[in-house]
Amino acid sequence: MPSENQSGMQCIECEGLLAEAIDGALHGSTLAAFEAHQQSCTACHTMVEEATAGMHWLKGLDDVEPPRHLVHNILTRTIGALPSEHAVVPPRGEGWLDKVKGRLAPIFAPVATPRFAMSFGMAFFSITLLLSIAGLHISDLRRLDLSSKGIAKTYSSTQARVIRYYDNLRLVYEIESRVRDLRRVATPEKEKPPEEPTPKTQPKSDNRQDKDRTNQNYGRDANQPELAASPAGNEQGMKNLTNQARLNRRTA
Amino acid sequence: MDDIQAVNALVRRCVTGDAAAWQEIVQQYHRRIYNICYRFSGSAEDAADLSQEVFIKMYRTLSTFDTTRASFMTWVTTVTRNLLVDHFRKGKYDRITDSLEATPGNQDDGLTLAEKLEDHSAGPEARVRSQEAQKLVHQALRKLSPELREAVILRDLQDMDYKDIALVLKVPEGTVKSRINRGRTELARLLQRSYKQVS
Repeated sequence: MPSENQSGMQCIECEGLLAEAIDGALHGSTLAAFEAHQQSCTACHTMVEEATAGMHWLKGLDDVEPPRHLVHNILTRTIGALPSEHAVVPPRGEGWLDKVKGRLAPIFAPVATPRFAMSFGMAFFSITLLLSIAGLHISDLRRLDLSSKGIAKTYSSTQARVIRYYDNLRLVYEIESRVRDLRRVATPEKEKPPEEPTPKTQPKSDNRQDKDRTNQNYGRDANQPELAASPAGNEQGMKNLTNQARLNRRTA
Repeated sequence: MDDIQAVNALVRRCVTGDAAAWQEIVQQYHRRIYNICYRFSGSAEDAADLSQEVFIKMYRTLSTFDTTRASFMTWVTTVTRNLLVDHFRKGKYDRITDSLEATPGNQDDGLTLAEKLEDHSAGPEARVRSQEAQKLVHQALRKLSPELREAVILRDLQDMDYKDIALVLKVPEGTVKSRINRGRTELARLLQRSYKQVS
């Protein structure tokens, strides 16, 4: 391929001007030089012919008709709305509700999609399921008295119920009885002289004594059940309980 | 100029959350975007999916459109082209390697490829032949490399000027012209080669 011929134009220049030449944008001396070159250069002539043919074939391609539901699908996926003229451009004389809806629609458009609706549905279902498992029913909410008196009444009754619940616990009874026993145990200890040595069998006798005292204590009412007994042979426990009894007495 | 201002106003309305403006944009540009996607991917189904993705991307990034940098049409085409390139790179739309002769050879209509390509006379038969020729050109287009394909699609099918194509493809104007020339030439050679093999 000759790089330059009689026209004075090189092949690379011809190639650079090819696009404009096909578009018909070359004029004057440039056009003359281009035509002269391609007539004398076979390779460039072929190139021009092929490029022109390729352009004509491409130009012959018609526009393809998009699918019928493409716009609908795009709008649904973007703003979550159907391509309805009435939905987008509301008629004149619309009510205040329509105006509010028209203003809020674009704000909530990204959220108002099927995907979000599905998520909200699942969340609602989960919450409802949890409430029903917990024993709460939506219908109960209707019976709720949300006035100030009603709330105060509910508060006081709930508080009383909680106090009753803890008062009636067996554990509370046990602790109370032990504290009472310890008080009794602690009182004669103070009266005793400090020099008196404590025999090893003291816990045993104390136990008996405690038992007797417990029996005496609860013996006042024959029908009252014995709910607790003093600990047997546990010196450490006794000491702890004694300390606790002292504390209780101080606070009393 | 008025059109550009009108489109810019439409975009501004859309950015402020006007659903009607967005619907107008979709109505105005969906055909163009679908055609670019169709010619690039070669499949109607893929083109529909890609068009939807393009609009979703546009909807999310509409506020980034700068009216001083380029026209809205160029911006839309850039978004479309970037998405197509992304999909192509992911390997979803690989270069078609099947034979151009496969389709005409299998159809027993008694017409050579040359007749299908060159018969432009009027009438229903000619229309059918023209449709066949369009199919062949479309298939040949799919055989071009993505760089050449996108250049000739934007120039010869979307009638964009070289400057805008250079903006969309992010290459110099000279490169755009070179790609367009090579794309046209390669397409012509592909069709001529197929014609020679068939005839």
